[in-house]
Amino acid sequence: MKPSVAWGEIAGCLLAAMLVMVQGCAAPQPSQDLLAPTEAQMKIRSVQSRSFDLADRQVAMRGVIAALQDLGFIIERANESLGLVTAARFAEPRFYDVVGITVTVRPEAEGRMTIRANAIYNNKPIEDPKVYQNFFATLERSLFLVKE
Amino acid sequence: MTKGRWETMVGGVILAGHLMGCVAQTQPAEFFQLTAESPSHRAMQTRFFETKDEAELLSASAAVLQDLGFQVEESVRDMGFLRATKERSAREHGQDISRFFIFLFSSALVLVQQPPIVIPVDLHQKIAATLITRPLNQEKTRHEVRVMFYRVIWKGNGSVGNQPILPGEQRMEMVRDPVLYQTFFAKLSKAVFLEAFAL
Repeated sequence: MKPSVAWGEIAGCLLAAMLVMVQGCAAPQPSQDLLAPTEAQMKIRSVQSRSFDLADRQVAMRGVIAALQDLGFIIERANESLGLVTAARFAEPRFYDVVGITVTVRPEAEGRMTIRANAIYNNKPIEDPKVYQNFFATLERSLFLVKE
Repeated sequence: MTKGRWETMVGGVILAGHLMGCVAQTQPAEFFQLTAESPSHRAMQTRFFETKDEAELLSASAAVLQDLGFQVEESVRDMGFLRATKERSAREHGQDISRFFIFLFSSALVLVQQPPIVIPVDLHQKIAATLITRPLNQEKTRHEVRVMFYRVIWKGNGSVGNQPILPGEQRMEMVRDPVLYQTFFAKLSKAVFLEAFAL
C-alpha cells in the first residue's frame, strides 16, 4: 500500500515540474491591465503632487529651484516652457550614492499650480511619503519667501 | 511532519527577510529636510546685487566662469540658470607622500614574500558649477546669484598583496571652501561694476 502512495507523490511532483517548465517555455501573455493605472500608482501620484495658490509659473519654478538649492541639490536642467526642473545631490556623507529628483510645474486652474516631484535613490524610485512631505514643507517655505 | 513543515516555513520567512534586508536600501527622509548647516551654506553661496538687469548678471557670470577655465554646458535664460564644468588633474603632493610612506613601511612584507602595498591616489577630477540668478523683490530691482561648486574625482590604480586595485574608482563631493566662493563673487562684482552684498 505504502509504495503506491510514494509513486503517486512522485508523479504529482513530476506533473508540477512539467507544468512549471511548460509555462516557462510559453511566451507570457501581456495582461489586459498592463498599462492601466493601478491603485498603488494613484496613491504614489497623490503623495508626489501638491497644488499651490500661484498664478505665475515662473514664480513657482524659481521657488522650486530655490528650495532644491537650499536642500543642497545641484540643478541639472531647467525648462521654463515645460515647467521642468531636474536636480541631484550626493547622499552625503556617502559619496557613492546619488539622490535625484524631477519636479514638474503645471497650471491646474486659474491661479493654481500643481507641483509634482519624483525622487529616486540610486536609480530606484523613492515611495516613502515622508520624503515627499519633507520636500513640500521646504518648498512651501521657499514659495512663501518668494512671494514676500 | 507538521512540525517540520512549520520549521521550514519559519526558516523561509526569516531567510526572505534577510534577503530583503540585503536588497532594500534605506531612503532617509532627511535628504529633503533642511539641516542646521543649510543657512550657512546658503550664505556662503549667495550674494545679491542692486540691479534690474538679470540677463546682464547672467552673462557676466558666464564670463567669470569662462575666466576661471570653465566650459558652459547648459544655460536657460528664463530661469537664470547656468551649468559649467572643467576637468583638471587631481594629483596632490600629500597623497603622493602618504603613498610613498605606506609603500616604504609595507616593504617589510617582502620578508613574508608579499609585495608592498600601493594605495590608489586621486588622479583626475571634474569640477562643476551650477549658477542661478533670481529676482528678490516684486519690482525686480534686486537680484541674487547663487552658485554651487562640486567635483567628481577618479582614483588611479594601486595594489594590496597580489590583488590589484583597478583605476577608475569614483568619488563625488560638494566644494565647501569659502575662499573659492569669495573669489568667484569678487570677480563677478568687478565684471558687473556693482557691489556684491552678502545675505
